[in-house]
Amino acid sequence: MSSFKQSTTVLAYGASERGPLHARESRPNQDAWMKASGGFGTLVVVCDGLGSRPKSHFGAQQACQATREAVTRWSKSKDAPPNLLVRLIEINWHLRVHPHTPEETATTCLFALRQGSGKWIVGGLGDGLLAVVTGANWQCYIGERPEDNFANETDALGSRLGSKKWVVEELPATSEPRFALLATDGIGDDLKPEKVEAFGHWFCKKFGPMPPRSRWHSIRQSLRHWPTPRHTDDKTIAVLHSIP
Amino acid sequence: MNEIQEFTHASPRPLPVIILADISGSMANEGKIQNLNNAVSEMIGSFREEQGASAQIQVAVVTFGGREAELHTPLTSAESLAWKDMTADGRTPMGSAFELVTEMLEDRNQIPGRAYRPTLVLISDGIPTDTWEGPLQTLLASPRASKATRFAMAIGSDACHDTLEKFLGDSPHGVFEAHQAREIRKFFKWVTMSVTTRTRSTNPNQTIALDFDDIDDVEF
Repeated sequence: MSSFKQSTTVLAYGASERGPLHARESRPNQDAWMKASGGFGTLVVVCDGLGSRPKSHFGAQQACQATREAVTRWSKSKDAPPNLLVRLIEINWHLRVHPHTPEETATTCLFALRQGSGKWIVGGLGDGLLAVVTGANWQCYIGERPEDNFANETDALGSRLGSKKWVVEELPATSEPRFALLATDGIGDDLKPEKVEAFGHWFCKKFGPMPPRSRWHSIRQSLRHWPTPRHTDDKTIAVLHSIP
Repeated sequence: MNEIQEFTHASPRPLPVIILADISGSMANEGKIQNLNNAVSEMIGSFREEQGASAQIQVAVVTFGGREAELHTPLTSAESLAWKDMTADGRTPMGSAFELVTEMLEDRNQIPGRAYRPTLVLISDGIPTDTWEGPLQTLLASPRASKATRFAMAIGSDACHDTLEKFLGDSPHGVFEAHQAREIRKFFKWVTMSVTTRTRSTNPNQTIALDFDDIDDVEF
């Protein structure tokens, strides 16, 4: 186990771009993302404020902060189960958005955490894309919409059934390369289902090796020139990558 | 070429509009079918002009006349749809139309998860001649169909209001009554405006409440 710790490179990167509709209407980007590292390991978070809610951009930003706080606290308790982590995220988020209501700040929340031990926790509430590649093994935790859903229909922090709808997975440490791909539905919905895996590999191969600043610029540039006709959504994508 | 293009859909998110049109023999009277054809054709023309919209409006027409319902126009983007007039003949197999539409709505190959909530438009001038209660119940209970925005128009005094009202369920608007054939056009203007307003809005899933009475002032 300790050999993973000593020889593993961990990359966390991403970018967010306001969508054409919000740009046209001079409204803020309702997506938010964050990367953070500390005693807990390395974390990336991607959140998408619900378009119809007046303060959802604030809700999305606060969800990123709430996740970092929750991870910091949760990691200090040895072998705490991941369901406590998502409960902490929810409580932190509720405190952070107060006195605004959960309804007006509703947001999705996707995260990937690599702990110092090499163990990973990935989780998500709502739509978008959350997938993990370990070696040659692709696992999509959040991707295609549930059978009865249409575009823009999602569970979220601030929705009635929120805490019951989290997807959380604990992944053991591995000696193989592993990356998690997180994206909002502005990206996830426009990817062809059969091409999502290839997109993930392409994205990491293209942007992973770049220096951080030019990588951030290049990803934003790609999001700005998103090819799907008449796309309107804000777009956010982030990667957590461990390379032994 | 944009490298991402290889991984993404080449078409915008669809916003499906499905028309369930009564083409029974009685629709041939008093110019009803001709007015309906003109109104649907005009609506498609208006959709075609919505180039700046955030969604691609797609139209399908299910007709019910003769012995059973038929797919007169498969789901096609308004931009590429060449309208073919409907002809009126036979009975009013509305239950059969409900079955066909339920099938379409539940088929994710036809209406994918990235589509916005569909709009269903039911038009009839008579009483269903087949079993319709069960198929309507199935339609309204199906997870995806129950989320559709629904409109209904009764043409003339012989239309079965009970069926149309049940089709609307808890929709915010009531049954539109066309006492004269020219009012068919007004109804479709209302539907057109509701759909195009949605495609320009922040959340195209949201039903836009429009007043019937404002429609005459709107030019398309």
